Amino acid sequence: MTLRLGPLKIPWPKTRSQHDPSTRLRAGDPYWDFFINTPPEDLANSVTELIRSAPEGNVFPTKADIHTPEITSNHVKELARYLGTDLVGIARLDSKDEQYPFAVICAVRADYDPREAPGIGGQVPVQNGLFVTFVLSAWIRELGFRATAAPDPNAERLAAAAGLGTLNPNGRLVTPKYGTRVHVTNVIRTDLPLRADG
Amino acid sequence: MGNATLDKVNQRGLDIPPVPNLGRSARVVGPVANVDMNQSPHPKNQRGELGKALFNWYRNTISKDPLTRVSAPNHFADRRHFLTTVINQASKGKVNSKQVPVTDPAAMTRHIKAVARYMGADVVAIARAHPSFMYAGNRYVQDGTAEDAYQQSTPEELVRKFPYIIVTTTAWDHDKLQAHRHHVGDAAYHVSQMKGVMILKALEGYVKELGYTALRGVANPQAAGLAAGVGELGRNGLIINEKFGARIHMPDPIMTDLPLVPDQPVDIGVEDFCKICRKCAVNCPTNSIPFGDKVVFNGVEKYKINWLTCYKLRPYTHDHWMSCLTCATVCPFTKPNVWWRSLTVWALRTCPIPARPALVHALKAIDDRFWGVVSQKRVRWLGYDSGIKPGEHACTVAGCTAAHEANSGKVAGDIGYYAPLKENTNRFVKRDV
Repeated sequence: MTLRLGPLKIPWPKTRSQHDPSTRLRAGDPYWDFFINTPPEDLANSVTELIRSAPEGNVFPTKADIHTPEITSNHVKELARYLGTDLVGIARLDSKDEQYPFAVICAVRADYDPREAPGIGGQVPVQNGLFVTFVLSAWIRELGFRATAAPDPNAERLAAAAGLGTLNPNGRLVTPKYGTRVHVTNVIRTDLPLRADG
Repeated sequence: MGNATLDKVNQRGLDIPPVPNLGRSARVVGPVANVDMNQSPHPKNQRGELGKALFNWYRNTISKDPLTRVSAPNHFADRRHFLTTVINQASKGKVNSKQVPVTDPAAMTRHIKAVARYMGADVVAIARAHPSFMYAGNRYVQDGTAEDAYQQSTPEELVRKFPYIIVTTTAWDHDKLQAHRHHVGDAAYHVSQMKGVMILKALEGYVKELGYTALRGVANPQAAGLAAGVGELGRNGLIINEKFGARIHMPDPIMTDLPLVPDQPVDIGVEDFCKICRKCAVNCPTNSIPFGDKVVFNGVEKYKINWLTCYKLRPYTHDHWMSCLTCATVCPFTKPNVWWRSLTVWALRTCPIPARPALVHALKAIDDRFWGVVSQKRVRWLGYDSGIKPGEHACTVAGCTAAHEANSGKVAGDIGYYAPLKENTNRFVKRDV
């Protein structure tokens, strides 16, 4: 029930209500299923493929002046959120991996599970996640620290360790805000001094 | 492909109006020559035609700011860190041979708009293509290539074959924009620009997967944006949108033969506002924005900014910020997208045109009172602090109460917003007049 007063709609529309898949399907969009579920014929039409195969750049030769690990962690998270991730956390990696003591893990809201929806639409969370991890890892390298963004089979376990949520018996991440409807992005491993969450 | 849908499209494509409708803010009054993008500021500068200082600024400098080095279209340390380069230099995908039939263009229009928004676009509209919107010469994509099989087609042929232009774009963050003339404002601008480039590339790929052609680097985005009703053209030479004001990008749109229903130009009162306001002209550090009336330039009656003086400011501010954005920030239409803003724009657009000047005077007074004749806002974000006054330095740790010595700050970019001041600029910017 919406009341209209000139340009004002009461109640105010929810910020992301247009992203709700059930509303969309109810709206009777005959092409929505194609968008979500039909895999691209030519992979060059998919931005996700393009960003995935992009080479990694160099670490900037001079290290930037950075703050304490606590403040740097906040900056990393703030930038990740600004780039469009919904959840972000930092986990400490096992000590045997000396090169990269920390992992930054982002999770974006996913209305459709990208593992089951191969269409360009179904892969939108992956696309958004790649945008975040590409720019964020490039930024850390430009700060003069090593950072590499790569897919990780243990991403969901690391996400749980970083305090984004808990694992359910199937090994899927369950977050307080979005439930299992999240896509855990590439894991950024870095030696930027950070403070781990969780 | 000679199916019924395509025939219908071609029939629609045949009736090209002699003069495109761009709304009230820009009127086509004479013959329009197609714009050659090789004569636009960045390509001119890349060839060194704007002088050594600008050439070196563009090609041979590395930014001191790490975030600028990953998000701005120049001043890299490593070009591979810039996502737009990765996207623009990628090879083009093929058009899917299994075309999805479109029986109802209105449904497809709703779908394409929903798709663009789902990918994160803030604004999406469809323009009816017109030969005068087309670029002359080659396809133009900054730092990339946009080759296609229709390079030799004339503008008329292109418009007949691809009658629609999908204009979709992102808006940059209002709160961070308050720290324009600072790396914070640069980040707001450049990050949303990168995002927009990615969304357009994804949408282009999707149109091809639907089985239709998508051309890039063909059409003038501002003309297409005006025809699609993205906004009206302001005194500052920027498209001013109903929801975001001047803080939207105008990236390269997609020209397509996908059957769509075009949108119409809008009237949100920009035309009446710009006649009176002049806030951007007053604030412009280089006096590049006219105080006077519209002029006819290349057959279009519009406000014409002096791009050369605007462009020439850049090397002088390189150490402190990249993108000036003053005209976009001070514009009274550039406000957060909230209810009082919708209310104001609604009041403007429903007001009869003869009564608008009075309303504009009132709104301008309110704007000056609450947002300042010259805006001074301090923004702290990500270790940056835009400072309070030029030269004043402040700690970047939220809640810090420790005493700080002058000039002890470790963070670059403490110059504040309104430096170099307008009078100082006169010393180094030569005016064409």
